[in-house]
Amino acid sequence: MLGMASFASLRMTGLQAPRLTALPRYGLAAYIAPMLALLKLIQSIIKTLHSEGTPGQVAAGMALGAALGLTPLLNVHNLLVFSLIVMLNVSFGGGMLGWALFVPLGFMLDPVFHAIGLGLLQATSLRGLWTSMYNTPLVPYTNFNNTIVLGSVVGWLALAVPIFFASRWAVARYRATIGARVQRSKFYQAIMASKAYNIYRLFRPE
Amino acid sequence: MAVKIFRWKAIGPLLLFLLIIAILVWLFAEPFAKDTTEEVGTELLGTQVDIGKLDIRADEAAVDLHLLEIADPFNVSKNLVEAEEIRLKLNPLALAEKKLVVENLRLGGVKFGTVRKTPAKPVEGDGFASQTLRSVREWAQQFDVPLLKLTPIDTVKQLVLNPTQLTTVKTAQALAARTDSARKALEQSFQQLNVEQTVDSARALATRLEATDPRKLGVDGTRKAIEDVRASLKQLDAAKQGLANLERQVKGGAGSLTAGLQSLDEARKKDYTFARSLLQLPTFSAPEIGEAFFGKVSIDRFQQALYYTELARKYMPPGLLPKEDPGPERLRASGVNVRFPKEHDWPKFLVQLGKVDLEIGGDSPLRGAYEAAVQGLTSDPSLYGKPTVVRTSRTAEGSAIAGIEVAAFIDHVNPQRMRDSASARLRGVELPTLDLPGLPFRLNPGRGAARLDFALRNDQLAGRWSLSSNQVAWALDSAGRKLNTLEGLVWRVVSGLKDLSVDARVSGGLRSPKLAVSSNLDRAIADRLQAVIGEEVAKAEKMVRAKVDSAVAKRVEPVRKQILAVRSEAETRLGLERKQVEDVERELQGELKRLSGGLAPDIKLPKIGI
Repeated sequence: MLGMASFASLRMTGLQAPRLTALPRYGLAAYIAPMLALLKLIQSIIKTLHSEGTPGQVAAGMALGAALGLTPLLNVHNLLVFSLIVMLNVSFGGGMLGWALFVPLGFMLDPVFHAIGLGLLQATSLRGLWTSMYNTPLVPYTNFNNTIVLGSVVGWLALAVPIFFASRWAVARYRATIGARVQRSKFYQAIMASKAYNIYRLFRPE
Repeated sequence: MAVKIFRWKAIGPLLLFLLIIAILVWLFAEPFAKDTTEEVGTELLGTQVDIGKLDIRADEAAVDLHLLEIADPFNVSKNLVEAEEIRLKLNPLALAEKKLVVENLRLGGVKFGTVRKTPAKPVEGDGFASQTLRSVREWAQQFDVPLLKLTPIDTVKQLVLNPTQLTTVKTAQALAARTDSARKALEQSFQQLNVEQTVDSARALATRLEATDPRKLGVDGTRKAIEDVRASLKQLDAAKQGLANLERQVKGGAGSLTAGLQSLDEARKKDYTFARSLLQLPTFSAPEIGEAFFGKVSIDRFQQALYYTELARKYMPPGLLPKEDPGPERLRASGVNVRFPKEHDWPKFLVQLGKVDLEIGGDSPLRGAYEAAVQGLTSDPSLYGKPTVVRTSRTAEGSAIAGIEVAAFIDHVNPQRMRDSASARLRGVELPTLDLPGLPFRLNPGRGAARLDFALRNDQLAGRWSLSSNQVAWALDSAGRKLNTLEGLVWRVVSGLKDLSVDARVSGGLRSPKLAVSSNLDRAIADRLQAVIGEEVAKAEKMVRAKVDSAVAKRVEPVRKQILAVRSEAETRLGLERKQVEDVERELQGELKRLSGGLAPDIKLPKIGI
């Protein structure tokens, strides 16, 4: 009832709303904010792809970051995943990139995750395990008994290894083929030189 | 070069991040818990729940709520209950398992039925409580509470009946269609049985054998002939069985159609009532007068009791199997939360002992201190193993003539035996004013006694609501309108009465409840109306019956004849075919005897049971 998951509504209403009220309701900010967020994301992607981390480090970061995107964010397991991204010698940018890329996929796959979670929670052979976990101190706070949480965690665990290998191959191919050309392109120079986001931050109401 | 796995320098920022999260939780836990409790309470009860302030006392594992208001789902401008202070002492071990076990609940400054500053918002969405509220309203609609019509009798003259509106006509049409289907089905069964062909074939065999001499047939020929007879007798036996089955079918079908004829009589009674209602004739039936006066207000009481009983059944289900609840509201899909109860463990929610302190002051005869106790209120009654019990008692001496006694018993421990019962007795209380539907009078019962008993066992309900007072005051509600003759008559009867005694009972299954209301007013009003306008109403009723009879006669008689014809035709045909089978069977038995006489005497023929 008082689970962490419900903090989503608090974040939406309690923390963000006061910042927006300082700007005209239908002003330029309504367009600038998402544009600058997108710009920041592109900056992050390009920085990550060209960073000094090895393709394996970037891919490991992305595989961990995918958990933040695929599963409901405000859950205990994501605190653990975030700690791993910070503590392990993987690309932090890769983690954030994985998060950003897998958020829409997470929303789209919710019905699948629900079906997986429900199937597992209703499986007669697993009932003993779930009953034991449900009645063990602190374990219920992981929300493992929610179909979406369980289904998406299982989904992420199943996808983590393919994500790692696919990302490692993609990053290596990118650097070997078009990475150098992109680095010399005007687009790259413009993106990396862009101070627009920082300017926005100066004017963003606190 | 060794591969570096950990980024030790990140420990600092990570700890800082966790610290920030902890500070945010500490800062927002109370407002968040308050909002969530309001949201969940509103969703669960189907009515607005407001909390003034919520304090979490982590060191005592307790929560304090201030100014709790729960709106009345049946009256948005009033609060069902209001409490100034509530303290919940939680069990920390159960809390570690994300279970809310309230060891002690204490409510102080409790008031009932207070007027709200702003009307409660209707609960939106399609939650269980909203659905239940709609269901019990629909449940209440199914009672056909009559209105006491006090229209002047001179409107009796015109009565135009449209036959298509009459239930008898509709029932007769449906019955005619059923009769036709039954006739076709019987015809088809006779054809499928094809007794005629079996009889013809057996008769041809008997005729053929009649002309033969067993001595000339030889042993093989005779044996063959005997086998033919036995085969034919078997066919005749099957035909007889078929006819016996068909006879049962005819009896069943005829019985059902005859029952349909009886339903025509019932329908005609409804049509008399319908036609009578078109004339708006006043009733002299004491039970109808009782229902017209107090039916609606009684149903309101029972529907409220049923609403809370249904909520209890939803939120306190029996059994130990996993239970599913909707997941939390969030941007992502909510999913479903599955609960896994375990024997000898904590339920998801439990109030072990709740105490409510009530104090009624002033010069009210009800003055005094009361205590209500709630024991074993839980989401998993099978785990708790005992029924939920609610009871009130007076903790300080008060007036002997007044008092409040409330008790409830919710037993959902065994899924095969769900028992919910509640009773409330109020003595010496100011009873609310009652509007009498369809009448320009208002009844103020003054100070008196009220009692409500309600029980639901599986889906069988039994309820009783009674009211008594000897300080009744009547008021005209006509706003200057002149009363007509009948209204004036009833007013003269009731306005002289100081005593009131109402007794309403509801019984039967949830889907077909029965209501019976009686009061001391019924007989008095019925007798008076009978004496004054009885003769005129009797004439009008006679006319109503005649009109209904003439409107339905043309439709009912042909159906009655059709049913009799189908039955008689089927019985005649059955008798005829059975006789044919028996005749030819006798012939074949004779031939069998004759043929077996030609065989060696030691050959024993098997007996054929026919």
